[in-house]
Amino acid sequence: MTNHWIDLKNSDCIFIIGCNPAENHPISFKWIEQAVDNGGKLIVVDPRYTRSASKSDIYAQLRPGTDIAFLGGMINYALQHDLIHREYVRDYTNAAFIVNEKFDFKDGMFCSFDDKEKSYDLKSWAYANDAAGNPRRDESLKDPRCVYQLLKKHYSRYDVDTVCQITGTPKDAYLKVVQAFCATGRADKAGTILYAMGITQSTHGTQNVRAVAMLQMLLGNIGIAGGGVNALRGESNVQGSTDYGLLFHLLPGYLKSPEFDNVDLKAYNEKWTPKTKDKKSANWWGNTPKYITSLLKSWYGENATKENDFCYSYLPKRSGNYGYSKIIEKMKGGGIEGLVCMGMNPAMGGPDSNTAREALGKLKWLVTVDLWETETSIFWKRPGVNPKEIQTEVFMLPAASSVEKEGSISNSGRWAQWRYKAVEPVGEAKSDMWIIDQFYKRINALYKKEKGAFPEPITKMAWGYGNEEPEPTLVAKEINGYFLKDTTIKDKDKTLEFKAGDPVPMFKFLADDGSTSSGCWIYTGSFTKDGNQMARRDQSDPTGLGLFPKWAWAWPVNRRIIYNRASVDKEGAPFNAKRPVIAWNALEKKWQGDVPDGPWPPMNDAKEGKYPFIMLPEGHGRLYALDLKDGPFPEHYEPMESPTRNLLSNVQNNPAVAVPKNVSRDLDKYPFIGTTYRMTEHWQTGSMTRSLPWLVELVPDMFVEISETLAKKKGIAKGDKVRVHTERGSIEAVALVTARLKPLSVAGKQVEQIGMPWHFGYSGLAKGDSANLLTPTVGCANTGIPEFKAFLCDIEKRRA
Amino acid sequence: MTAAKLVLNEIKGYHRFLKFMMVLVGLGALASLVRFIFGLGVTTNLNDTYPWGLWISFDVVTAVPLAAGAFTIGIVAHIFHIKKLEPLVRPAIVTGFLGYSLVCVGLLLDLGQPQRGINVLRYWNIHSPMFEVSMCVMAYTTVLTLEFLHPVAEKFGWHLPLRLLRTLELPFAILAAMISTLHQSTLGTFFLIAVDKLHALWYNPLLPLQFWLSAIFTGLSIVIFEASLVHKYMGQPDESDLLATLTRIIPWVMALYLGVKAYALAFLTHGPLFDRPVLLALFLVEICAGVLIPFGMFITKKIKSDKRMQLRAASLVIFGLVLNRFNVSMFGMEQPGNLIYAPSLIESLVTIGIIAAHILFFVLIAKYFPIFEHHPETVDYSIPDRMHRIDDGRKRVGGELEA
Amino acid sequence: MSSEKIDFTKTKTFLIDTTKCTGCRGCQVACKQWNQLQGEQTHFFSGEGYQNPPAMSEYTFTRIKFKDYQKHGQNEFAFYKEMCMHCNEPACASVCPVGAFQKTAEGPVIYDSKRCIGCRFCMMACPFGVPKYEWSKAFPLVRKCTGCYSRIKEGMKPACATACPTAIAYGPRDEMLKEAEKRLKAKPERYYPAIYGKNEAGGTSVLYLTHQPLDELGFKPVTQRPLPSYTWQALRFVPGIFLTVGGTLSAVSWFQQRKDRIRAEEEGRTASGHHHGKDEKKENSL
Ligand SMILES: Nc1nc2c(c(=O)[nH]1)N[C@H]1C(S)=C(S)[C@@H](COP(=O)(O)OP(=O)(O)OC[C@H]3O[C@@H](n4cnc5c(=O)[nH]c(N)nc54)[C@H](O)[C@@H]3O)O[C@H]1N2
Ligand SMILES: Nc1nc2c(c(=O)[nH]1)N[C@H]1C(S)=C(S)[C@@H](COP(=O)(O)OP(=O)(O)OC[C@H]3O[C@@H](n4cnc5c(=O)[nH]c(N)nc54)[C@H](O)[C@@H]3O)O[C@H]1N2
Ligand code: SF4
Ligand code: SF4
Ligand code: SF4
Ligand code: SF4
Ligand code: SF4
Ligand SMILES: [Mo]
Repeated sequence: MTNHWIDLKNSDCIFIIGCNPAENHPISFKWIEQAVDNGGKLIVVDPRYTRSASKSDIYAQLRPGTDIAFLGGMINYALQHDLIHREYVRDYTNAAFIVNEKFDFKDGMFCSFDDKEKSYDLKSWAYANDAAGNPRRDESLKDPRCVYQLLKKHYSRYDVDTVCQITGTPKDAYLKVVQAFCATGRADKAGTILYAMGITQSTHGTQNVRAVAMLQMLLGNIGIAGGGVNALRGESNVQGSTDYGLLFHLLPGYLKSPEFDNVDLKAYNEKWTPKTKDKKSANWWGNTPKYITSLLKSWYGENATKENDFCYSYLPKRSGNYGYSKIIEKMKGGGIEGLVCMGMNPAMGGPDSNTAREALGKLKWLVTVDLWETETSIFWKRPGVNPKEIQTEVFMLPAASSVEKEGSISNSGRWAQWRYKAVEPVGEAKSDMWIIDQFYKRINALYKKEKGAFPEPITKMAWGYGNEEPEPTLVAKEINGYFLKDTTIKDKDKTLEFKAGDPVPMFKFLADDGSTSSGCWIYTGSFTKDGNQMARRDQSDPTGLGLFPKWAWAWPVNRRIIYNRASVDKEGAPFNAKRPVIAWNALEKKWQGDVPDGPWPPMNDAKEGKYPFIMLPEGHGRLYALDLKDGPFPEHYEPMESPTRNLLSNVQNNPAVAVPKNVSRDLDKYPFIGTTYRMTEHWQTGSMTRSLPWLVELVPDMFVEISETLAKKKGIAKGDKVRVHTERGSIEAVALVTARLKPLSVAGKQVEQIGMPWHFGYSGLAKGDSANLLTPTVGCANTGIPEFKAFLCDIEKRRA
Repeated sequence: MTAAKLVLNEIKGYHRFLKFMMVLVGLGALASLVRFIFGLGVTTNLNDTYPWGLWISFDVVTAVPLAAGAFTIGIVAHIFHIKKLEPLVRPAIVTGFLGYSLVCVGLLLDLGQPQRGINVLRYWNIHSPMFEVSMCVMAYTTVLTLEFLHPVAEKFGWHLPLRLLRTLELPFAILAAMISTLHQSTLGTFFLIAVDKLHALWYNPLLPLQFWLSAIFTGLSIVIFEASLVHKYMGQPDESDLLATLTRIIPWVMALYLGVKAYALAFLTHGPLFDRPVLLALFLVEICAGVLIPFGMFITKKIKSDKRMQLRAASLVIFGLVLNRFNVSMFGMEQPGNLIYAPSLIESLVTIGIIAAHILFFVLIAKYFPIFEHHPETVDYSIPDRMHRIDDGRKRVGGELEA
Repeated sequence: MSSEKIDFTKTKTFLIDTTKCTGCRGCQVACKQWNQLQGEQTHFFSGEGYQNPPAMSEYTFTRIKFKDYQKHGQNEFAFYKEMCMHCNEPACASVCPVGAFQKTAEGPVIYDSKRCIGCRFCMMACPFGVPKYEWSKAFPLVRKCTGCYSRIKEGMKPACATACPTAIAYGPRDEMLKEAEKRLKAKPERYYPAIYGKNEAGGTSVLYLTHQPLDELGFKPVTQRPLPSYTWQALRFVPGIFLTVGGTLSAVSWFQQRKDRIRAEEEGRTASGHHHGKDEKKENSL
């Protein structure tokens, strides 16, 4: 989230697209309802009429996988009817930037595509620079090569009728949505967009998100209270897990993990430290060397020295993709010996579960660290297999649940909240931290004893969190970071003294010379000499916007609404005086309100003024992206399995995504759209909920939702047992016939959809077939997130 | 011969019918045992939609008015002092006594916590019709028991208690009438709470009054019914000339009843009357077959002499009452859409057992106790007279001596 | 029934705004947790939408009813929480022969299982069909929403109200009514113009606001009069009737007896007179 949960109450228009907060983030509605009570509008766009939709002022149905068309149409409408926040767009986004001559777009393809590699040459999309090496700009936005004009041209194809043809949205509903939300383009109106898996789980998921962000920039909705681009994160601490780099391409704090050709720290910094010649651009990533060095210091401590490149060489270097699907693929080919599943249930969670379950059988050993016996830990005795034929040795480590251990949880709003142990773990369960600590200690001992190839990355680690039970606060302090030697810092007028061992108060004090450590630079400031900031519980709300600055702690530097420099004009006066996030006090020469995006004075300040989008080298929000694999502008492509041809171009699918084997577009075999989703009553793969009688009572068995028309066509009645097939597999379920699902009219023909939760499996109290036996192994060009939301299937009544 | 043998032989001598009754009673007893072992849920078809079923509808709501003969005849014979009817009193009292005892049995079976029945005496809730009825039933059962002791005492020739009971006969009759009036009507009050449940055909604020009136004329009809059968099957003397007196009283009460019902339907109902065909049919049967037709029969001259007509009319009235009580407590409560309640086997066996027990014990009691024998002295029992007569007697004796 | 002296403007009351209810069923589960009620065996869904279990029961004190239907082409997907209405003048309490139910001054209508004899009159009487029976047991008791009386007494909110993210407000009845009226006035287009529970059964400690017409959601149309008054209007005559009947009948019988006695005495006198005569004769003959 650019903003945070409570801030939803400040919105004039809440646009829910691709998520279902009433069901999957129930507490969010506490704030959404407040916005509505204050006269805000609630828009829900979803293929199904959900519990969220039931609360909406405007509901529009769309076909799974067509969000770019939907949002592109909104962008077009905003531009055509000039509903955008001009000043914001001109000054704070790259609308005025001139793009080099080479760039162009024809019939669904951007320039310089390598058909063999299935990839674009991103350099060909660069800005046109001036002599000084800064991007050229045209404040008038008239230049045909400026982003604004290219954007306008690109989306001019997304007229309302075409869009509705594609998305299947009734035109009147579509127009209602567009008009209601584009009305927030005014400076005194705030509109927020909430999204999650409906947007991301697509072969063009990242571009879906881009489309959301672009619309928000055009309407001047980023950085302001009640606005923003708000991803409703998933697992209760998934925000934390990404912050701490639990992804193959990231290190903690969103530092890139080294690639094979980043041979040394210098090369790494070269590659990942963006540069700018523009003094007005903060270009915060310019600090990358400080952060990576501090990270290495916290990992390898004394062993990390300038001379040995701070042990940079110990870091694994990646080449290519190590995403979930790739791992399964490799496992299936017998390329992986062992797997540790810590809080994950891959026999269920990934696409094409049959393959995943087979792959698990190719492992020598499998460790599951979980609260429960999961489908993964009993994959070897799953229905239809003979345990004798599976050689994998499985170890189940009982894990303590979130209420049985102390630590921090980072929510979608980037608030790190400290939690305490409420009860002792049941049985022999141990906290994950204890388990990891033991892993390290025992592996380290083995390496020390048996040496082996390249033991240093383990043996040279600085590891000390206590002897028996590791101390969470020690970890928290290490993440915040220490001064490693006595330091004096000149900060504006005053000088600050720090002793070796003092916690670093702010990441701007981190250094690239090894004098500081930090386990995750964005969390620097979370555990200072004033103690554990994440444990704060002060309920004061000075701004009245619900920022609650003294409740817990938000990264970065306790900023509650990021990009808040974009909420004020170039003089530092809030665009919306009603809800000022920050405001520049010219007399005292300081900002008031939320923690500003950097200390500098407003943009117009000749000497120190800075652009608002400080994380980008050009300092301006990107309506035109430079670094995405599949194009600078989101372009509509059909999902891999789609019931129709692409009405906007002759390019059917995202060209940057390779078409996998096990998909089929045979509409005679698979005439219907399948989509998967969650419901309030169950959690994820169900291991958490399908063993709790109180929840099983609510949703006892696997079901699919179908429309009344499809039910009639197939002679299916509510409660009938049905079978659903795809190219990957087939499942049994009970049919829930409901008017909440309606057939969509796409390019003039009726398309039916079959909705299903993916919570069921073969372990636990309530068992059922897994939706993921049906889903295709194909994902987003940029993130690889699988296309769980749109695939082709067939359904038939199961004769008893 | 041992006592057991004696009893056995005695039983061997009984009529087939009695033996059959015994079997039914046995089954009933067994069924009630099952109910206590496995609980109401398993053994009955009661559920949260139909918390009350056959046992309440028949064993209580219907059985009570069916046992009203005792107090009604009591009123007529003792209070209105129509002495010639006294032969009818005792059988009625026995029926009443059995009736109420079995009502208590029925209630206890139906309670979830029978062992706590006594709580009714510990925690009073004067707002509860149920409280009122339980109190009355307890009180009245005691009264009936005492009244029943009468023949018993006679049989064993306990003279003191006998005298005491004789002197109490009238006060008892009055007490009985008072108590009965209350609980017979309050049974109707039960259903006044079901304002949004009981169908308008039966729901109206005068329900208690109607329950009371119908109890009276049914009570008297029961007496007729019983006497006729007893005469028919137990070779007891023909009382039809006595019954004729009753047939003269009954129509008056019925007329009153009809009046009240008509008025209530016309002016006091709160909902649509004709929206539920089945209920309407039930209602019509109840009124026509159960009230109008017998009423017609009762007002004929013929009925005074015609035994069979008396029996028929009485039977119709009884049928009408049963149907009425079921309409009020069961059928009229069925909500459209809900699945319909039908008693389970166990429930039915218990109720059948209770009815059988009633008949069985009645016959046995009649067999072993002076129920029908007319008392040796047909004099009034009021104390002053008795004194009077006694010293009058002494004088006489004295006179003899002088002589 | 001690409800007479209770100030019904102060009794704690649920304001359940179904237009804010997301059907998350947190309340339903929180209730089971607080009251430690066992989960029920269900199959598929028992009603519209995702509704489960089929009904309130000895194991389920509150339940979200789902409504999933079409109205002039528009979807209606509505949820409302069933529970004990905690009537100001509870029928259950008035009919209970042993006064096992009681309306508390705090608001909840509570149940004293130690008194209950299991007659199920409360179940008959409750206009909302709330009290449920332990059909599973050989010696069953009644069960229903406790209003979380044990929590209220500790100054806490009921478990369900605490769990609810949006829809349940909880406070003194007059405040809740004021709030409800405020909402109706502020957003007439959002609400069906009625507060269910304001007058139903003479007023309850649970109030509902809805968007859809009440009957569409399956709210029971119940009398606006307190139910106890329906039986009381008859019961209050009990003492009177008792004495009247007693009195009249005594009078009648006394009168009748007297008549007969007089007759009897006359007969008696003539009889004895004759006798004497005889004696005299005898004496004369001596
Ligand atoms: N109760 C509960 N809460 C949860 C979870 C849970 O399992 N149970 N999971 C947590 C996790 S890990 C996550 S990631 C989040 C996910 O939260 P959500 O994203 O809200 O979860 P989903 O239900 O998968 O998808 C949301 C909606 O997207 C719609 N949808 C499907 N296809 C499309 C499409 O092409 N376009 C658009 N616009 N919408 C589409 C679906 O109909 C669905 O209603 O929820 C979190 N919260
Ligand atoms: N078809 C389809 N598939 C999907 C999705 C979809 O929308 N549709 N959504 C995708 C998304 S967004 C996600 S996030 C994934 C999730 O996929 P998974 O993460 O594999 O599924 P979970 O059930 O969340 O697995 C979490 C496991 O952690 C265990 N656990 C809980 N607490 C702890 C703890 O404190 N310690 C440890 N060690 N274990 C713990 C739980 O018991 C559970 O078994 O599924 C993806 N799969
Ligand atoms: S389940 Fe937990 S995380 Fe999800 S909404 Fe409820 S309280 Fe929040
Ligand atoms: S709703 Fe029913 S159970 Fe609850 S208080 Fe009212 S009458 Fe009693
Ligand atoms: S069942 Fe229990 S609580 Fe209900 S009325 Fe009878 S005694 Fe009272
Ligand atoms: S008040 Fe308490 S008992 Fe009643 S429904 Fe709510 S949680 Fe359950
Ligand atoms: S907790 Fe609140 S929002 Fe959720 S279902 Fe219950 S009443 Fe509705
Ligand atoms: Mo997720």
